[in-house]
Amino acid sequence: MKSRAAALLLTLAGLAWAAPAAAQAQAGYSLRVFGLFNEEQFLAKDTFKAIFGQATQMLWGGGISVVQDEQYYLDLSVSRFRKTGQRAFFGNGQAFPLGIPLTATLTPFEMTGGYRFHTRPKRPTRLSARLPPPSRLVPYFGAGVGLYRYQETSAFAQAGDDVTKQHIGFIVEGGLEVRLAKWIGIAAGANYTHVPGILGTGGVSQDAGEGDLGGISGRFRLLIGK
Amino acid sequence: MRRIVALFFVIAVGIGAALTLEAQSGAAPYEIVAGLGLPAVDRGVLTGVYHQPTHAASMARSAAAGIRAEQTRLGRAGTPYTRGKLIVKFRSGSDASNAIATSAPGATVMPRSTYANFDVLSIDPNADAEAIADALNARPDVEYAQASYVAHALFVPNDALYKAYQWNLPLINMEGAWDIQRDAGSTITVAVVDTGVAYTSATLRGVNIATFIGDNGSRYPAIPNATIPLAAAPQLVGGTAISRIVAPHDFVNDNNTPYDLDGHGTHVSGTIGQLTNDGIGTAGVAFNVKLMPLKADCEQWDILFGTPLSRCGEDRIALAIRYAADNGAKVINMSLGRTGPAACAQNPSGVGCARVVEDAMRYAVSKGVFIAVAAGNEFEDGNPTSAYAEIASRIPGVVSVAAVDITKAHARYSTAGPYVELAAPGGGGGSAESGFVWQQTYSLDFSQTFDLPVARYPAPRFDVLEYVGYAGTSMASPHVAGVAAMLMQQGITDPAVVEAALERFAIDLGDKGRDNFFGFGMVDARATLYGLGLTR
Repeated sequence: MKSRAAALLLTLAGLAWAAPAAAQAQAGYSLRVFGLFNEEQFLAKDTFKAIFGQATQMLWGGGISVVQDEQYYLDLSVSRFRKTGQRAFFGNGQAFPLGIPLTATLTPFEMTGGYRFHTRPKRPTRLSARLPPPSRLVPYFGAGVGLYRYQETSAFAQAGDDVTKQHIGFIVEGGLEVRLAKWIGIAAGANYTHVPGILGTGGVSQDAGEGDLGGISGRFRLLIGK
Repeated sequence: MRRIVALFFVIAVGIGAALTLEAQSGAAPYEIVAGLGLPAVDRGVLTGVYHQPTHAASMARSAAAGIRAEQTRLGRAGTPYTRGKLIVKFRSGSDASNAIATSAPGATVMPRSTYANFDVLSIDPNADAEAIADALNARPDVEYAQASYVAHALFVPNDALYKAYQWNLPLINMEGAWDIQRDAGSTITVAVVDTGVAYTSATLRGVNIATFIGDNGSRYPAIPNATIPLAAAPQLVGGTAISRIVAPHDFVNDNNTPYDLDGHGTHVSGTIGQLTNDGIGTAGVAFNVKLMPLKADCEQWDILFGTPLSRCGEDRIALAIRYAADNGAKVINMSLGRTGPAACAQNPSGVGCARVVEDAMRYAVSKGVFIAVAAGNEFEDGNPTSAYAEIASRIPGVVSVAAVDITKAHARYSTAGPYVELAAPGGGGGSAESGFVWQQTYSLDFSQTFDLPVARYPAPRFDVLEYVGYAGTSMASPHVAGVAAMLMQQGITDPAVVEAALERFAIDLGDKGRDNFFGFGMVDARATLYGLGLTR
């Protein structure tokens, strides 16, 4: 499973990286690093509310972004959510915490690629005119895949109680990048992730009928690089 | 014999002295001298066959659970290990620093204990200790290397009879439950609506025991002016544990001294809360709960001692339930019942229905009290509907409890029906010790003297106790009451939710899903207290 996921990620990375030869000839590549903060509203609302008291949680992390010709981008990121809540159960349609600490850790390794709606300044007709500055606002839209690693440990766990799972998930994203300075920018966007195969087969998530560990998130990135 | 002579001597002196004491009689047809009596005589196990169990050590939790979760990491096999350390044994004569530099860079050797033949390496807390162990194990100069896996001791009570006799508690995963909640219900009061409880010493004076015809057809003579000693069960209230008794009341004799003249209520109370892990006798489910002894059931001696039948009956039970709810009980155990019509759900006020008990139960639940009710022992007698159990099935927060034997099979006597909601160990009966639930209560030889031949028939004594095996849904119900008390200790206060949890986490037995023999299944104490994570 692990090797399959890694192979898939590598293949997709290779495909995304491989620009047409013609494009390569005139391509300008830029490499940026970024830190990210994700405020995610998990789709498994009742599950997260039962354990942590709320369905919106923070992930933080970082990654690298490669931009070709200022239009195509490929982002690789790793982020993490780690929080201690309480084991619980549903009774009469309501969640009841039991006071037993449970620590969940979600580590998404994500690769997304897409298009940046970067408007190139038109060359002025008069030779004496100054070249207009490029737009500081760059909308983007993309999609990708991720490997989502999930760990769950509880106090008083006996053999087989704690959980480690991972599964491939899918991402759709869009947002707006704002260049603050030549080497610094910020990006704010929205992500939708679909992560099957981890929730829904046991625990509170099964009782709640929730099988998707994905969610809708507001993603904020601080970009360093051109 | 000398002890018995001494006992009677002390009683005689005590009676004289008691002339100056204020005697409490209430409505009882005899005089009660509360607190007068010798400590109980403990006869050990009734069978006389004593199996010394393996003494099991118990371990206290070493750290707060949350901290433990933070400081451990999950290994590949799902076993957590301590972050930041690695156990390794280097082969003698080998250069540890070379192995560390190559296979565990950054690790340092911690000071070795004088009695260790291995070393402990300090490693990066975020490092994968198992991966480093793999690298070290591949070296010829390392004998073995491993992560420091977290050992997790289960609480196993050291009570002398626990391992040999108490199959019933491991059967419902009590050890795992105690591991989660070592307090075992210390803030919860469980009311035992029963025959009373042997919770204190007393002497009954001037008891005129009526003549009667025994089961053997013989007429037993009246015994006038008898003096009856009672003693507290040491394994319920021994030492300072008398403080666990809360608001006792006798609804039969209308006083605050609900002495048990049968032994049933004492046995039931033992299953709920027998003193545990003291090296003596048996263990109880929620062994730190407070107990509220409520006498609402008249048995043979109550009648033979002169209690009029008018003071016995369903109104007493209803009163006891209401009293418990008004006096702080959070759980009520009702190991009593009667048969009734099957149609009370359609017409609760119909002939034979127990409307007064139903109203009392609803009142108690409305005050936040969970109730466990025995499902009945009449399966082999035509399997009639059990009236109180049937009511239980209609009230969220009241649970009817059937019995299973040691193999988790339906106990042959346990009444079955659509109103059965849960099952718990009640014992299969029979002639083997494993057919029973064992607890300390009155010695049958001294308390059930109406079973002796007429020529050997004496007045009963309730100050000789032993560990007696009982079977019945009466024994099953207190298991559920105890687990409910522990769940309430964890903050689940709504009786309906307590019921939902007990049923959700029950071990499904018999037909898949709910069935008439086991209800939703056999109560699983550990699963109930442990609850659910996100994924498991």
